[in-house]
Amino acid sequence: MLALLLLASTALPAQEMTREALLQQERQQRAVQLKPERTSRWEERIRLLNEKRIPQRLSYGYNGLRAKLGGMITQGGFGIGPEYFREDLFDGRLESQISWQISTRAYQRGILRLRSRNLAGGRIEAEMLSMHHYYPKIQYYGPGPDSRKSGRSNFLLEDNSLDFSLGLSPIRSVLLGPSTGWLWINVGPGRDRRFASADAQFPPSDVPGIDRQTSFYRYGAFFRVNTLDNPAGPRAGGFYLFQYNRYDDRRYSAYGFNLLEADLRQYIPFYNQRRVIALRARTLLTDTRAGESVPFYLQPWLGGGDDLRGFRPFRFRDRNSLLFNAEYRWEIFAGLDMALFADAGKVFPRRGQLNFSRLEKSGGFGFRANVRNRTFLRIDFGFSREGFQAWFKFNDIFPSRPLGTSSTQPYQ
Amino acid sequence: MTTMRKLLLTLAIAAALHGQRFYPDDPLLVEPPPLDAGKPARRRLSDWYDLFWHILATPGEKQPKSGPPIRAKNVNTLGDPMDGAWYVRRHYWRRMPLEELQRGAGGTAPPVFPWTVVAAKGEGITPGFTVIDATKRRFFIKLDPVTNPEMMTAAEVISSRFFHALGYHVADEYIVEFHPRDLVIQDRLTFINQHGIERPFTRRNLTELLLKAPRLPDGRYRCVASLALEGQPLGPFRWFGTRSDDPNDTVPHEHRRELRGAHVFFAWLDHDDSRAINTLDTLVTRNGKTFIRHHLLDFGSTLGSGSDKPNSPRSGAYHFSWRESAIQMATLGLAVPYWAKARYPRYPSIGLFESKVFDPEKWLPEYPNPALLNRLPDDEFWAAKQVMHFTGDEIRAIVRTGRLSDPQAEEYLVRCLIERRDKIGRAYFRKVLPLDRFHVHNGELVFEDLAATHGMPSPAPYEIVWRAFDNRRDQPGETLGRGARIPPAPGEYLMAEISSPARPRQTVRVWLRGRTVVGVEYGW
Repeated sequence: MLALLLLASTALPAQEMTREALLQQERQQRAVQLKPERTSRWEERIRLLNEKRIPQRLSYGYNGLRAKLGGMITQGGFGIGPEYFREDLFDGRLESQISWQISTRAYQRGILRLRSRNLAGGRIEAEMLSMHHYYPKIQYYGPGPDSRKSGRSNFLLEDNSLDFSLGLSPIRSVLLGPSTGWLWINVGPGRDRRFASADAQFPPSDVPGIDRQTSFYRYGAFFRVNTLDNPAGPRAGGFYLFQYNRYDDRRYSAYGFNLLEADLRQYIPFYNQRRVIALRARTLLTDTRAGESVPFYLQPWLGGGDDLRGFRPFRFRDRNSLLFNAEYRWEIFAGLDMALFADAGKVFPRRGQLNFSRLEKSGGFGFRANVRNRTFLRIDFGFSREGFQAWFKFNDIFPSRPLGTSSTQPYQ
Repeated sequence: MTTMRKLLLTLAIAAALHGQRFYPDDPLLVEPPPLDAGKPARRRLSDWYDLFWHILATPGEKQPKSGPPIRAKNVNTLGDPMDGAWYVRRHYWRRMPLEELQRGAGGTAPPVFPWTVVAAKGEGITPGFTVIDATKRRFFIKLDPVTNPEMMTAAEVISSRFFHALGYHVADEYIVEFHPRDLVIQDRLTFINQHGIERPFTRRNLTELLLKAPRLPDGRYRCVASLALEGQPLGPFRWFGTRSDDPNDTVPHEHRRELRGAHVFFAWLDHDDSRAINTLDTLVTRNGKTFIRHHLLDFGSTLGSGSDKPNSPRSGAYHFSWRESAIQMATLGLAVPYWAKARYPRYPSIGLFESKVFDPEKWLPEYPNPALLNRLPDDEFWAAKQVMHFTGDEIRAIVRTGRLSDPQAEEYLVRCLIERRDKIGRAYFRKVLPLDRFHVHNGELVFEDLAATHGMPSPAPYEIVWRAFDNRRDQPGETLGRGARIPPAPGEYLMAEISSPARPRQTVRVWLRGRTVVGVEYGW
């Protein structure tokens, strides 16, 4: 056979064959082996998922009715519940949200929100926000900056609120306006049996409001300058917020107070925004009239995944707070940033103590997952003199909050 | 003839042909007429699957880590792809007049008003819809983002002209201004809104859609109108493997020269979105036969544009790579990637495009593309010589088709393209001897030193060694002489081996049949 082939190879006039014939021969051979194009089962599933817009449908639900997942307060557990969300009412000029959630730790939250869209070409923002919270296990370590980690207790907080805000934008990036609303609060014994209840551990003289239920009428004004490039995942620009609100105790006239908030954020990008230094300074200052005290449950607090990340949630609480955050972020790959951060802050009883002394400090590192300029997952590992904390959050480190009186309610 | 005899004859022919380098009809400039493709089904690929598959497991046959590399398999003996369903030799082989360059794939029949909207998309940031014009032709309409008027439409039209001149099959595209009153909505038209719900498409939806686009002072909107490609759409082609239902698709795509060489074109024009989704196969009928034609599509993410926003400053880097990610983590970001150091002037109609930091050898698309990854120095040279062939005036003429209203922006874009072109020439003319356009003149082998032509460092002078060549065995024989003059040939074929003392590893082999150049091969 081999001899025959060798003989043939030397005997046949090869030049009679042409390139074209050779290529056609190759095609002919292929033509008899054709089979329909197939994609893998997984590719087909993923394609259908996208083509049928399953994520969008799940997210939007049926005519606006959908499941609301997550979003509970820190240590509130994983929340789930129904939500009715529409942004196309009145020809797209009104956005509505009605939701109710219960969490794995028996926390409950209800929201009714109506918000204007594109009023007067975006120069007016109006919002009505009503909330209900049932938070049975809020941590409390006692008043002041010297509270002990071992002094952990808990209390139940149940509240209802109704607030209205109106924002005017005279020039781009600036929003200012008034706000008013009502807040009804019920505080009770904590339901977490692993720890003492706050009312059993601390006397009413140390924790004002722990023994009496009251309600508030609140009103105030806000002024905001927002030059952030992407509100949900900023890399450049600034955000400067000043709010003043007055809480009037409607029942006892004993727990009214003034609250002044300044929240200053600046993002400094370099190397084409692939490196960012994010800075924040925030202070909450309260003031009372004669005979008034700030109820402990409305006092500013520090500790947790959004401020002092090396400390437990609600670790420090007093009439005033001061906080500094600094982050250096750098891009690992498209969609993931890493961060080194340092936090410093304190709570303090008197406004005269607004200074840089006795700051609690924490530092650490973290990851930020981004999609389309939005931070959808943040993982932070914080270290402090009290140990180590890990945080899994679904927001930017400096999350945007509603404006006006509702925003000064610390439990969102 | 018995089966055994047929088999023997086939084997005998195969053995005879094995090793033969040239055939009488070489070099073949045009693909043989295609076989009838029948009725292949439309293929639908998942963009997400495609993205992750390529990032995590780059498919296709890769270049071997050792041993001889796999050269492009779809080329003729001169090293060029043949004119056909994938590619047509255009500007480099026949300098196109400016008007022809500006026309692109058509350029003579823009859509005629009124337009009937027959499809619209309600999701995504970039507004777009499909219309049938007054002459019953189907056009796909895309608009610029509000933040960057003219950016996407200019990029789309400019790049489609370049890719057409570079030889690819692309759509016929126009920049058009229309007024909303030029649009008529087809009866009972529905669309899928951003929540995945099918809704009637009304005039109000159209108005909302147009709110996402910049409005001209006279109330009109600027858009790019892409004429639907000829033939029945069959879905995208992959950058590896072959279509199993196409008899003419015999060469794995990762081994096609025009797809490997596309890396250089993509780098030049910053076409970093080289996913399958930006390609389209169509079933075309000619003389009663059907065949599949392969197109490049959607150039809205080229130059400085990222379609709905300026291009990412990451342009020129993979979305993800293990090595780069590890470096970034380990160095706390102190190892700054080269692309992050780019500086971009503020031209909203350009987006993010520059030429100072650009390095064609470092540039990468968004994900590992099997064909681009398989490129060899001869693939790169094949592409680079085409890029270098564009003169400044030709580049300027094509950029003008983008109709940028800011003359400074236009000039900036031209300057960037010229500087990027020159960087490409310097990078790839260095990797092989930059010689081309071989022919015989007055008994001598003549060629063009492209580096010298374009004012770049040339490895000249060159040495030419002539050898006899046994075509049947694909083997060079005895040395016949030196120098440009062609020596008497003992047989039908001669081989010239060109080298340069300045680059001892690089050679070009040129084969002659009589006085005709029939083969060229670069070594490195």
